[in-house]
Amino acid sequence: MLEGIGVSKKFGGLAAVSNFDFSVVEGQIVGLIGPNGSGKTTLFNVITGFYPPDTGRVIFKGREITHHKPYQIAKLGIARTFQIVRPFLELSVLDNVAIAVLYGRENMGSMEKGRARALELLKFVGLESKKDVLAHQLVAVERKRLELARALAIKPEFLLLDETFSGLSDTEIQEAIRLIYRIRDDLGVTIFLIEHVMKAVMGTCEKIIVIHYGLKLAEGRPEEVSQNPLVIQAYLGKRRA
Amino acid sequence: MSVTYILETIISGILFGGIYSLLSAGFCLTWGTMKVLNISHAVFAVLGAYMAYWFFVKGSLDPLLSLPLLALLLFFLGGIVYRLIIRPVTKAKDVIMASMVVTFGLAIVIENVMSYFWRPDPRILKPPYTGASFFIGEIAISQGPLFGFVLAILAIGLLYLFLYHTYTGKAVQATWQNPVGAALVGINPERVSLITFGLSIASAGVSGVAMAFIYAFYPSVQMVWTLFVFLVTIVGGVGSILGTAFAGLMIGFITGVSAAFLPFVWVNVILFALLWFILLFKPEGLFGA
Amino acid sequence: MELRRGVILNLEQDKKLVDNRTRVRRLMRTSIVVLIILLFLFPIIRPPLFFLTLFFSVFMYVALTESWNLMGGYTGYVSLGHVTFFSIGAYTTALFMNRFGVSPFATAILGGIFAAGLAGLVGYPVLRLRGAYFVISTLLLAVIMQLIFMNWEFVGSSTGLWFKLLPVSMETNRLIFYEVMLVLATLITLLVRRVEKSKLGAGLIAIREDEDVAKTIGINTPWLKMQAFILGAFFAGCVGGIYGYYMSYIHPDITFNINTSLLILLMAFFGGCHTWTGPLLGAVILSLANQLIVTFIGAEISRILYGLLLVIIIIFMPDGVIEYIRASQFFQKERTS
Repeated sequence: MLEGIGVSKKFGGLAAVSNFDFSVVEGQIVGLIGPNGSGKTTLFNVITGFYPPDTGRVIFKGREITHHKPYQIAKLGIARTFQIVRPFLELSVLDNVAIAVLYGRENMGSMEKGRARALELLKFVGLESKKDVLAHQLVAVERKRLELARALAIKPEFLLLDETFSGLSDTEIQEAIRLIYRIRDDLGVTIFLIEHVMKAVMGTCEKIIVIHYGLKLAEGRPEEVSQNPLVIQAYLGKRRA
Repeated sequence: MSVTYILETIISGILFGGIYSLLSAGFCLTWGTMKVLNISHAVFAVLGAYMAYWFFVKGSLDPLLSLPLLALLLFFLGGIVYRLIIRPVTKAKDVIMASMVVTFGLAIVIENVMSYFWRPDPRILKPPYTGASFFIGEIAISQGPLFGFVLAILAIGLLYLFLYHTYTGKAVQATWQNPVGAALVGINPERVSLITFGLSIASAGVSGVAMAFIYAFYPSVQMVWTLFVFLVTIVGGVGSILGTAFAGLMIGFITGVSAAFLPFVWVNVILFALLWFILLFKPEGLFGA
Repeated sequence: MELRRGVILNLEQDKKLVDNRTRVRRLMRTSIVVLIILLFLFPIIRPPLFFLTLFFSVFMYVALTESWNLMGGYTGYVSLGHVTFFSIGAYTTALFMNRFGVSPFATAILGGIFAAGLAGLVGYPVLRLRGAYFVISTLLLAVIMQLIFMNWEFVGSSTGLWFKLLPVSMETNRLIFYEVMLVLATLITLLVRRVEKSKLGAGLIAIREDEDVAKTIGINTPWLKMQAFILGAFFAGCVGGIYGYYMSYIHPDITFNINTSLLILLMAFFGGCHTWTGPLLGAVILSLANQLIVTFIGAEISRILYGLLLVIIIIFMPDGVIEYIRASQFFQKERTS
């Protein structure tokens, strides 16, 4: 459904992403892992149109989106969350989601309709009791739910999640994993996620891609990848491998 | 139009440019370190010009001699303004907007206080040595701008030395580049801000004296000088004192060149249109971070 | 580390809060309607001309500040160049009236259109800038336009332009303009309010809150910003057209006066720029105060007081009056920490 071919992105002298190939099949949950600074978020930024890649192409459902603008990519059905959540702080939880409903693929015309639909989404992520609370009053976990709800509000077919599990307790991780599965199963959204929390990765992903210094290091099922000596070396250093 | 004339206008432009550099240096400093857009910066320059004027006219004290006193007084004034006005504003959600608005209010107050007490008639600061012209071959360089320029360069030099060769100065730079990091290594951001702002106002005052060597001044000229400040800051970027210095010189040079070939009124249009284009295509400025 | 700031909803208190809110809203709505009707009828009691002039000025600032707020408050792009569009409106009206004898009230619309045209032209490059750079570029726009108009024969350069006067008495003159500006101010405020509650308004607010995120939820940010910019310019142009005619003489120093741009900014900021009531409040209070002080005390003192007032207000309420009220107990739900 989504694939990247030979994607490279440099900043100044530093190659954040080098000649990176990846593909995610429809209905999959794929993870992207790698040490800090390895280029993961940059890749997401390239996919969502915030940076044009220096080389390479990004293709979504057979359509080339390499040089598309972010809003166009959103309209085509790719949604994303951010590593550090970015809610619309001054607005209510409901409105945060409602605006996304209006401008997303459902393309509604008025805030009333948008809010109605937003309420359903809030129920889906478990935030409906907080619907009138202003976003800046939310706790961290709630903000993550909000971020998710807002991303889902544009009715995407593909979702990019950037380190959603960071800072969550064990119970919260389990809840979040269940939520991810529901997004895939009930809403039919394909998921590509960046993650550091191994428990979450192992618990959700069918396929894992490992990135290191911008290069693809390994790819495969979670069991395979976790045994891969190169991967272990990248994370833990040579001696442990 | 002789070569001499062209050279004279260009040199004159460069001299003016150097003075604009000093005028903008302090503004750049506060914007860079504290994210404070001090619209009242130029009005303190005008205040400095008036102070030197009164020392000269009433106290027979040569402007160059009254400078240290002037700078000191304005440094303290800057500290007071910081404590009373700027510091509360740095707590706002949108510091840039809030600081812009509050310093605009301040500028109006100071401008009109000056206007009320000293009347809006234009003044000139003309110590005897600014009358003559200095000659390189056939090229005449008016001594007013020349002294102003030398003053400006010296002041910028001092500022530079402070920033790069004193502990406090380096602390200021650190805060500029990375406020959180600076705080983490034990630099007191409060003190840095206080010193920075005081320094900024003091430099504004000194630049006002330099400006007075080349322009007549009156309270409402502060708005025109503010535009120069913006001009230099945007072109030079908010990154460094040197960047500002070069930007000022460049702008002076362009002013000189345009003045040599165009009617004077269009020079300003060109300048601001140029600025506009730079803003559009390279807003970080030519030397910006 | 996130501080836990949970919200506990107590059904009874919640209901009281909702009741309070709706009560205040209804009260505000009715009182504003009543006020507007009273204002329309005001001239019937034949008040001294001074009041008509005073209110004209207030209405004008309300119109200008509301129209500015589309860009400044909702979108978060503070323009110091609003005065440019105002002037284009004034000059367009003057030229069309003088050369073609077109009715001034129709040409005011034309003034709006020309202003909107300029906004469209300039908007594309300017709106790509962010933050302080945007602000300064709009300021420069005003300055450059002023310089151009000062030196351009066609628009009268430094001599200015005269309007043909209406063939009526001074009193009727003032009366007509009073009513016209009141209508304009009301219309513009209502339209701005309509935008605020519309899909466009929601999009603009999203841009203000977080422009990058807005893009990821499908908002075509350049296009929305352009709409706000052009619409605001159009309104300002119309106001300018009426103003020019009212003053019967325009000159670059008067119309392109940066002070006006900054005044608008202050009014919006003072009243709180996140909603339509803010600029209204700010414009009414500040322009009334300003006019009164200028008339009775003197220009310089008035500016000093005005400046001081501004400084003090920003120091105590850095985010504007309406925000301050919103944040106060009356509207807040109970918080536990």
